[in-house]
Amino acid sequence: MSEKENNSSFIIPNSAFWSSVWAIVWKDLQIEKHTRQIVSVMIMFSLVTVIMFNFALEANLAAAREVATGLLWATILLAGTLGLNRSLAIERENQTMEAILMAPINRSAIYLGKVISTTVFVLILEAILVFIFIIFFNKPYWRPQVILVLFLGTIGYIAAGVLVTSMTIQTRTREVLLPVLLLPLSLPLVLPAATIVSSYMFPQLPELAEIQTPLSLVLVYDLLMLAVGFLTYHYVVES
Amino acid sequence: MELTRLNRNVRILNWAAFVTISIALLIVFFYAPTERTMGNVQRIFYFHVGAAWVGAVAFFIALIAGASYLRRPSKKWDTVAVASVEIGLVFLTMAIVAGSVWGKPAWNTWWNWSSVRLTTITIAWLTYAAYFMLRGAIEDEEKRGRFAAVYVIAAFVTIILSYLSIRFVNDLLHPVVVGGTANPQTGQAADSLQEFAPGVESTRMVLSLNASVIAFSFLYAAWMVNRIRLQRFMDEASNLKMRVVSRLQGDLS
Repeated sequence: MSEKENNSSFIIPNSAFWSSVWAIVWKDLQIEKHTRQIVSVMIMFSLVTVIMFNFALEANLAAAREVATGLLWATILLAGTLGLNRSLAIERENQTMEAILMAPINRSAIYLGKVISTTVFVLILEAILVFIFIIFFNKPYWRPQVILVLFLGTIGYIAAGVLVTSMTIQTRTREVLLPVLLLPLSLPLVLPAATIVSSYMFPQLPELAEIQTPLSLVLVYDLLMLAVGFLTYHYVVES
Repeated sequence: MELTRLNRNVRILNWAAFVTISIALLIVFFYAPTERTMGNVQRIFYFHVGAAWVGAVAFFIALIAGASYLRRPSKKWDTVAVASVEIGLVFLTMAIVAGSVWGKPAWNTWWNWSSVRLTTITIAWLTYAAYFMLRGAIEDEEKRGRFAAVYVIAAFVTIILSYLSIRFVNDLLHPVVVGGTANPQTGQAADSLQEFAPGVESTRMVLSLNASVIAFSFLYAAWMVNRIRLQRFMDEASNLKMRVVSRLQGDLS
């Protein structure tokens, strides 16, 4: 069911393009509003992970505070794989992906829509995680700069995630394959992002020059991954 | 069948790789000067850099092959991509192992997570190793080629990021090839390559390094043609198997 005229990988986004992006986002948000299966699974999983790590580090609270930032990112990444799997598994279970592909919309619009909706779900998770981490570890995760970096990191992670999940969901091993592919692929993004977040954990704010390099690495990753996904997504969903 | 004999190009490249690697070995052991602070251990460096360089080139060629496959799907591009990723992974492993052997005397440890290069290269290694996991999970040949091509393009982002972080993140432990980093804390390791500043000794080192990079490039080319040839055998074998099966089924019915 490939409409050749819609398969061109490079298009200039116009208003029709954005309205189809918005339609996908709106659809996903509506489904989530009624079922609440993606966000709730991610939140439960994160809570279990954080509490489990608290037990593991209980003997040494200072050590727990030291690793809190790493733990926050690890939790987001792992919960993110669950959310990504769920978000695209829904499309397969109900064969809605086939229906979407039949519609005369550009595949890159589907990609962007999926990236935006999944990012929204992960951001909801992060809002809750930040709250939990402030309580558990007494660290200034509420700083706007930290929130901004979490946001930027999430975009890149989900940009890679939607692309990879759309492939793994069509393979034999499915859920098992996703973390193996996605976690190494997202590490070049997460390492600089975690570096920035850790540098904001002290009472004194870091100079802009200190975080300039990791911040530009995060931005470059975001842009590159979005571009790769945007240009190659229709090769992934075509059947 | 003509497939069973090495064709001329494969033979020439095999010999070229053998000869250049032998020459590079001679140069590294007899022409290159013994380094001032590190001594003979530093000679590993020529292989380390050669292998790392060819690894990056191999992944770049895989990227090109992947993009070409998406533009015009053909078995040929898929084979080139697989061969290049496979060989790139071998070279990257060689670079990591060689670096680790060098790191033991230089840093007094085999592994050091605080070195940005070591970390990013390990990430790249994992990313490309996962490429084979993806391929193994898809049965349909056309789909496998398509997904693998998309993945190999996405994976190259990790190589770009590795390169950028090596350039711009201040790595106190890993020496920079040209120039050198002066750092009192790890003085020995950092100083060891400062010879690369212009000087009589450093010219010989640069020449040795170039010889080793050229030799490794020939080795890569030779392995590529051999690996592609191997893939052709494998395809031929599975074709024959299919024909036997269909013939037998035809006989039975």
